Amino acid sequence: MTLTMTHLMALLPLIVVCATAITVMLGIAWRRHHGGTAAVTVIGIVLTLAMLLPIWTMAPVEVPLLVVDGLALFAGAMILISSLTCAALAYVYLDNYPGPREEFYLLLLCAAAGGMVLAASRHLATLFVGLELLSMPLYGMLAYAFSERRSLEAGIKYFILSAAATAFLLFGMALLYAQVGRLDLPAVAAVLGERPTAWGLAGIGLLLVGLGFKLSIVPFHLWTPDVYEGAPGPAATFLASASKVAVFVVLLRLVLSTPAFQDDWLRGVLAVLALAGMLVGNLLALVQSNLKRLLGYSSIAHFGYLLVALVVGDGLATETSGVYLLTYLVTTLGAFGVVTLLSSSYSGEDTAALHHYRGLFWRRPYLTAVLTVSLLSLAGIPFTAGFIGKFYIIALGVEAERWWLVGGIIVGSAIGLYYYLRVMVTLYLVEPGMRRRDAPRDWGGRAGGVVVLGLALLVVMLGVYPAPMIEWVRLVEHITVR
Amino acid sequence: MSQTATALIAEQWAVGVFVLAVLTLCVFTAGVASLLGGRSWGRAKSLPFESGVVGAGSARQRFSVKFYLVAMLFVIFDIEAVFLFGWAVAVREVGWSGFWGAAVFILILLAGLIYDSRVGALDWAPRRRPPGPAT
Repeated sequence: MTLTMTHLMALLPLIVVCATAITVMLGIAWRRHHGGTAAVTVIGIVLTLAMLLPIWTMAPVEVPLLVVDGLALFAGAMILISSLTCAALAYVYLDNYPGPREEFYLLLLCAAAGGMVLAASRHLATLFVGLELLSMPLYGMLAYAFSERRSLEAGIKYFILSAAATAFLLFGMALLYAQVGRLDLPAVAAVLGERPTAWGLAGIGLLLVGLGFKLSIVPFHLWTPDVYEGAPGPAATFLASASKVAVFVVLLRLVLSTPAFQDDWLRGVLAVLALAGMLVGNLLALVQSNLKRLLGYSSIAHFGYLLVALVVGDGLATETSGVYLLTYLVTTLGAFGVVTLLSSSYSGEDTAALHHYRGLFWRRPYLTAVLTVSLLSLAGIPFTAGFIGKFYIIALGVEAERWWLVGGIIVGSAIGLYYYLRVMVTLYLVEPGMRRRDAPRDWGGRAGGVVVLGLALLVVMLGVYPAPMIEWVRLVEHITVR
Repeated sequence: MSQTATALIAEQWAVGVFVLAVLTLCVFTAGVASLLGGRSWGRAKSLPFESGVVGAGSARQRFSVKFYLVAMLFVIFDIEAVFLFGWAVAVREVGWSGFWGAAVFILILLAGLIYDSRVGALDWAPRRRPPGPAT
């Protein structure tokens, strides 16, 4: 096929992100300047976000390797928003970092491009390239504070385990190719049919292992708390938001487009994984005394909830996943943003131990309000965005009469409420913490502070008035290629 | 179900036999060797065997980390040069669009090379300090 202007237009956001990455690289080669690099990064991302708007009208556009449809644009917008947040947070966080600071933005842009490729992939080759382009810069970002033991450990741990998961993914692809003889997803889905053979089933299972690792679905979740704990704040934010969104979107695309996933056996496996995720994530979060580890376990639980949408796989599944992903993204960015801001003016480990947060309200009331709103939203309390997402998931489970899963969500939410409230109580205690750690005095005026405040406002707004978000997600579903 | 299982066995039995044969062969060679082979102990027996010559020095030598960086850069640029061979064999068929694609690819490589040389990744000796964070 020939590449027409329409195709080029549809791929332009991706091209602009890559061009920004190269500009940043050449900029660093020319002259190191922290503010300038951050500014170029932010301008590039904002330009790309603006460019997504006209493409909505022309979607879906398909090229041999990529499909620019509703789901891809939706995921692209979420990835870019979280990259923008990470860039703003990194600008505050890296301000007094002794080593080279500018490369972080380069890695961030590369990872964002990888996420966009992954979300738009309709071919196993682009799926693999996108996943690697998303993961490779993340290794560097996680180990960015390499003089810090924990950060280095997080980077190497994620690197080795991720390489093992990639091996599973590749083997799964090889089995699928042996069965089907094609690599593009529509052909794979068509040939596998409703009842896949043993090899096809094994291939799908191995793909599920590879993607499940990145989503920290339960048997493959062991890396999550350690990596979240050790990673520098902005890197952990990106890992918890953009990386998970991109991988979940590609998994959603696989499940929706492959009739083999309607197989009872595969659905049973997904249901067991979902239930295990909810219970393990929530129960292990109970005993954490470190906020970043706690958020890690809570993300395991949240992806357990999200898997319910994949188990059901029809009806409102796309809409539910979209709404839940969006609310999860906004909330997680807010919570990690506060942790990052509190860690920004200290060398050494991030401020994550709960005793640092004791009585934070009496020192930084607005920042505490942001964290409180985020935690309430993670717990799924009404009038926050998290409630809308949880409502959708439970409605979907009830509609499909998956009573075990609905029971799991309810038990998980009850346990979740306990540990989120425990953190909130700590925030408002009167006695001072053991060691005082604080956000910079002028945090509200800095880029990261403004973004975090905006996110908290968004969490409340989406909770009170979710109609525009739901409209948007419906539009996404409407222009998604099945 | 039993019918599909039978069909599955009929289709895939050769693979099963292969896996079984591999396992049997491994167990057989290791088992027979341990049963029939003689054993001898001695001080020199626990030394590493290096063509009959007594080993000298420690195996834990320290290399400058620079070598790894140079090796990695070599592999990266080498692999990317390999991609150009794919273009070279199809240069007439892909025409101008292929030319511009390859040109973009080479320019990105060039940008990477400029970056590498500017941050000091290509310097062999640790003499010159790489330009650190300015201001």
